[in-house]
Amino acid sequence: MPTVRIALLTIRLVMRTKLALFFTFIFPLVFLFVYAVLIARGKPEVVAYMFGPVVTLNIMGSSFWGLGRQSVTQREQGSLRRYRLAPIGPGTILLSNLLANYLLELPTISLLLFSAVVFFHMPMKIGWLTLLALVTVGTFAFAGFGLTISSVANTMQEAQIYNNLVWVTLLFLSGVTFPLPMLPRWVQRLAMFFPSTYLVSAFQGVMAQAEPVRNHWPEMLVLVTSGVFGLLFAMRLFRWEKEEKISTKAKLWSGVFALPFLVMGLWMNTRADPTAMWARSYSVVGQATTTSLNPETEKPNLIENFDGIQASEELLRRWQVSTDSDVSGHSMAEISLLTPGAEGRRHAMRLKGRLAPGPKDAQGYVSARCEVRVPANSKGLRGLEFEARGESRIYQVGLQPPKAASSPHPAINFVPGEDWQNVRVPIAWLTDLATYGLANGPWVLEISVTGPPGEFSLDLDEIRFY
Amino acid sequence: MYLLMATFEENSILVSVQNLHKHYGDLAALRGISFDILQGEIFGLLGPNGAGKTTTIEIIEGLRQPDGGSVSVCGLDPAQESMTLKQRIGAQLQSTVLPDKMRVDEALHLFASFYKRSASVHLLMEQFGLEEKRHTFFENLSGGQKQRLALALALVNDPELVLLDEPTVGLDPQLRREIYSLIEHFRAERRTVLLTTHYIEEAERLCDRVAIMDRGQLVALGTPRELIARSGQGARLEIRLAKPVGLDRLKLIEGVIDCHEADGAYFLHAQPAAVTIAALVRFLESQENALLEMHIAQPSLEDVFVEMTGRRMEH
Repeated sequence: MPTVRIALLTIRLVMRTKLALFFTFIFPLVFLFVYAVLIARGKPEVVAYMFGPVVTLNIMGSSFWGLGRQSVTQREQGSLRRYRLAPIGPGTILLSNLLANYLLELPTISLLLFSAVVFFHMPMKIGWLTLLALVTVGTFAFAGFGLTISSVANTMQEAQIYNNLVWVTLLFLSGVTFPLPMLPRWVQRLAMFFPSTYLVSAFQGVMAQAEPVRNHWPEMLVLVTSGVFGLLFAMRLFRWEKEEKISTKAKLWSGVFALPFLVMGLWMNTRADPTAMWARSYSVVGQATTTSLNPETEKPNLIENFDGIQASEELLRRWQVSTDSDVSGHSMAEISLLTPGAEGRRHAMRLKGRLAPGPKDAQGYVSARCEVRVPANSKGLRGLEFEARGESRIYQVGLQPPKAASSPHPAINFVPGEDWQNVRVPIAWLTDLATYGLANGPWVLEISVTGPPGEFSLDLDEIRFY
Repeated sequence: MYLLMATFEENSILVSVQNLHKHYGDLAALRGISFDILQGEIFGLLGPNGAGKTTTIEIIEGLRQPDGGSVSVCGLDPAQESMTLKQRIGAQLQSTVLPDKMRVDEALHLFASFYKRSASVHLLMEQFGLEEKRHTFFENLSGGQKQRLALALALVNDPELVLLDEPTVGLDPQLRREIYSLIEHFRAERRTVLLTTHYIEEAERLCDRVAIMDRGQLVALGTPRELIARSGQGARLEIRLAKPVGLDRLKLIEGVIDCHEADGAYFLHAQPAAVTIAALVRFLESQENALLEMHIAQPSLEDVFVEMTGRRMEH
């Protein structure tokens, strides 16, 4: 069968090119080690969380810089012309490129998996077939991207420009490089339009949370659809000769390729709580870091553990609760002292209430704030941590420096579990200590919740810097 | 199975091109050319760059669609039955490029696998002197070896018709002669060959019949001998004499069409040459002059081209 023969020969040719070998096998491993060592710090659960982005990055790379460039290179070098004389059509060439790309992907992913399990003890929460299905769908979808770009580009320079544009966008705005819950809300909204978001979140859901892959069927469907669209476009716009150029009008038609992502993005944005799933997966980062804490080497910088508080009235003097009622909303909240606290301690704080829709259907909003003092040795601070327990909602934690209460500062999402869990947030995600660390005056710690109407309840304990 | 002798019927038409037209935008690449290629013959399309040779061959291969006229190859319409036709023809491009790291034997095996009928790769490598280079990457082949591989690839399906587009362009004279021998071998195998060239000696040496093309038109068609005879240019005599003689007197010699002088030598265009030589000898005797040196050159296709188009071929 010509398709298989060309694909197998293409793989052989890749194996003979040192540069291609490096980018196919070594480069993805470099990424895995960078993510696992620098970001996950070798924590198995976090490595499982980061494995999805690493695999997605690899799939994207091979599609954009491998498959996408391959067709243009073949056309520019003139090697396609020889195939043109044989009794084979564009479909054979495209499918063989697709097949070679996929077959090269499998050993790479296997190598990544092997390294993650052997060197970082990554837990395998999913079966091989599920992983294979995700890799297959992802490779097919991004192959569609690569093929569309190579079809639309008239020259290699053009292909490089298109590749870079799409590559950089997907790399930084879809959870491949930075976990989405770390990113501003508008970026999270925007990310819902990107296929890499679907693949990363599906990987993280199944790898970190052991979710069944069927939970992600809409994303999978869109990915497969985009792969089919890409293949159809590539067949439609296929050119054997570099002299054959396509018109701008034909290029614009390729915009149809983005249609499935547009539909999916709109659908996800209209869902009640689209980011909860990402935040749930992300919570493993916080959970995992607790397990490896060494009490001997940690120097707790306690902000609040509620144990010295005798009554709720005293709690109310330290914590201030505000709701959207300040702006004509109807949400309600109260804080109370809870006994016992986390891990058998004396007390904890409970923030409880009900979110109600605000004017013009705005989402309800509740926050609890307290003033904190940043320790004198602020340069040694790595982050903020606390114990949390509650129902599965997205909460935010923020830390506002003195004299900057009115300016927006990032709030980091977290989703508490039914049992007490440790949540850790690096200080760099919350504020810029280099700028504000030496500022005098109290800082403001704010725990807030917003989202769809309904009851909520969040228990907090042992809030400290670490 | 490798067929050394292509089966054919003598004098049956394998390729028929009738009133072919092709435009690229405003440029008329072909302006109504017509010719037939008989089974078993080596047919040449001779002309300078831009004459329309490659366009013609690509239409015959089914790679381009004509704007007008009709083409029949092996009884098939290349535009409509391209895939069926490709099974029966073999083609070599002006420059064949394969992936750098593809080996010679891999290329031949791969392309042979695309066809229902294929030749023996081993025999092809032997025939084209590629046996020793079978494991060599394409990037490491010399120009001549690449061209031999391109010719071998054109034969992987043991084709009825072989189409060669400028098979020796860019090669040095020695490599060119090497390729000539291979193409002459096609004649021994009674294969039908259509080749395009802008080398006169190539067309004269290899082709049974030649069509001379210029600016998208066919200006002459026939065997090289016929074309030369038809041109009426006669032979060219280059003579050196003991004493100088006036050009006007030389022009009066029987059979001399034209003459000029350069570097002390006289160049006479004569028709027929034998009559002119006898008359020249008589004339020199009467003038008590002596013939020191004489070279006789027969007219070439180049002379025919010049006569037909008024221009020299640009190599």
